[in-house]
Amino acid sequence: MRTSSVAPGAAFVSRQESFNTRLKEKFAQGRKLEFDKLAEPVLWVRNAEEAKTLVKAMTLDPEFKCDFLSDITAYDNQDGEDGEQRFVLVYQLYSTTEKIRLRIKALVAESEDAYSITDLFPAANWLEREVFDMFGIKFKNHPNLRRILMDERFTGHPLRKEYPIKQREPFKDNIQFHLGANPLRVDTETAQSEK
Amino acid sequence: MSQNPNSQTDFYNPNVLINLGPSHPAMHGTLRVMCRVNGETIEDANCEIGYLHRAIEKLGEDKTYHQWMVYTDRLNYCSALNNNIAYAMSVENLMGISVTERCMWIRVICMELSRIIDHIICVAINALDLGAMTVFWLLYHWREEAYTMIESMCGMRLTTTYARIGGMSYDLPDNFTERLWKFCEEFPRALDEVEGLLTSNRIWIDRTKNVGTISKEDALKFSITGPCLRASGVDHDLRRDRPYYVYPELDFDVVVGSNGDVYDRYLVRLEEMRQSVRILKQCNKKLPQGPLWVSDKRVHIPEKLEVYSKMEVLIHHFKIFMEGIDVPKGEAFTCVEGPNGELGFYVVSRGGPKAWRMRVKSPSFMLFQAFEQSVKGGKIPDAVAHLGSVNIIAGELDR
Repeated sequence: MRTSSVAPGAAFVSRQESFNTRLKEKFAQGRKLEFDKLAEPVLWVRNAEEAKTLVKAMTLDPEFKCDFLSDITAYDNQDGEDGEQRFVLVYQLYSTTEKIRLRIKALVAESEDAYSITDLFPAANWLEREVFDMFGIKFKNHPNLRRILMDERFTGHPLRKEYPIKQREPFKDNIQFHLGANPLRVDTETAQSEK
Repeated sequence: MSQNPNSQTDFYNPNVLINLGPSHPAMHGTLRVMCRVNGETIEDANCEIGYLHRAIEKLGEDKTYHQWMVYTDRLNYCSALNNNIAYAMSVENLMGISVTERCMWIRVICMELSRIIDHIICVAINALDLGAMTVFWLLYHWREEAYTMIESMCGMRLTTTYARIGGMSYDLPDNFTERLWKFCEEFPRALDEVEGLLTSNRIWIDRTKNVGTISKEDALKFSITGPCLRASGVDHDLRRDRPYYVYPELDFDVVVGSNGDVYDRYLVRLEEMRQSVRILKQCNKKLPQGPLWVSDKRVHIPEKLEVYSKMEVLIHHFKIFMEGIDVPKGEAFTCVEGPNGELGFYVVSRGGPKAWRMRVKSPSFMLFQAFEQSVKGGKIPDAVAHLGSVNIIAGELDR
């Protein structure tokens, strides 16, 4: 933690460091433990199912008490930098009592389903929906797995690397704007070919 | 159900759907809530979001780190400075850059100013929704003052783009200390007036007490952060718990409520503005002289005068803006205590000038999810009060 943003001598730094060593002893057997640029721990689990059990273990653990779900997200691992599977699922946990952070990562294949943690954290509901919407990762036992940001008729998953950034998907039943008595013709053909 | 228009069963239909939003003066931005009401009580609610989705995260993978700065303005457009700085901080963390002392203090001033603006908007609009117009005029005058101050800093009012990776785009103007001092002296008087108008006002209390209550347990379960979490009685503030920049050197109190209703959220926001003024006063005293920019060649944007007169500097300038800066491989999750809560940027870099993944963890997303649950059981006018008090900004919600 020698970077700019962290205040010098902040109390949480030493706590996070001792947490990191305890994490190494207690949970890192058979798992890969990394540290990011802020010296926050990144714990790789072996599969998506283990991600859920580990999140649960972390919330219940009397030493770590990661009782707060900061974020669930994912990123595309198309180039295979982090492993063979297609996606990396990321859980950001935080402890409101210990003021420590932990990131749990799981590799998820394209055809594989992840496990919903909505029964542990209701906050995971929308976050998992967003991951599904953006990446197409399905979550088992999710109560309401629908698209959240995109339209329900939308096809494809925009945050996958193969999705072109300029791809447009207009829907047919959009109400046409009234363009006046003599509207200019909008040439949709050229607009289509530009992308 | 009977199709007969005179039928009494239809009159007492417990399944009337009422659509709030997405375009309604009481909806703060393009939010949509579908409510199933029984009489006037909301029995079930379903929120629909995405009306303002602009693919900001996807653009983060397409633009260079520098270019993406402008998109952070459009996240929470009420406190653009805060987003700029949080983003600059996250890229600096990735590169291992330590900004200068003066830069840190200026950034803290900016973040607190934007916190004040954001809270002003929330309190004023919440009161406006409930019919208290005077509060709106009183507070918005000071919002304008704050914006004028921001304009003198970076030339823009709403979408500031003030921060740069490794520094700030401009130094503070000459008379800034006096202006900030004047603001810190006079703005709390407006808060006193507002407090006199609302805090013990019978109508305000009736409309806000025990309305939109979020319990402590629910707040934690739904991952709410910021003033709304503190209003529910959880003592959590990243400025104190995981301090960044110069916050440990500053003296301020974390405001914690108890009930988690609209009234408590209003009180927390009001007191937080006072605390921000307190921080600003200390910053104004302690603001050190010295360089604004880091000397790191990778990110330091050269002086314009030198760009126009020296060949090497011109090339360097073009390298930064045309190619972008090279951020080493790695990742960081940088969170700051934004006005609405924990604002995080999770940046995954695989080297090069563009991010591999740019995740914005926005507080509004969590707040609106909790709103969907806590609005149940209340009345429709309560929903309006509740929505105003959690201050959901659609730009941040939909990204």
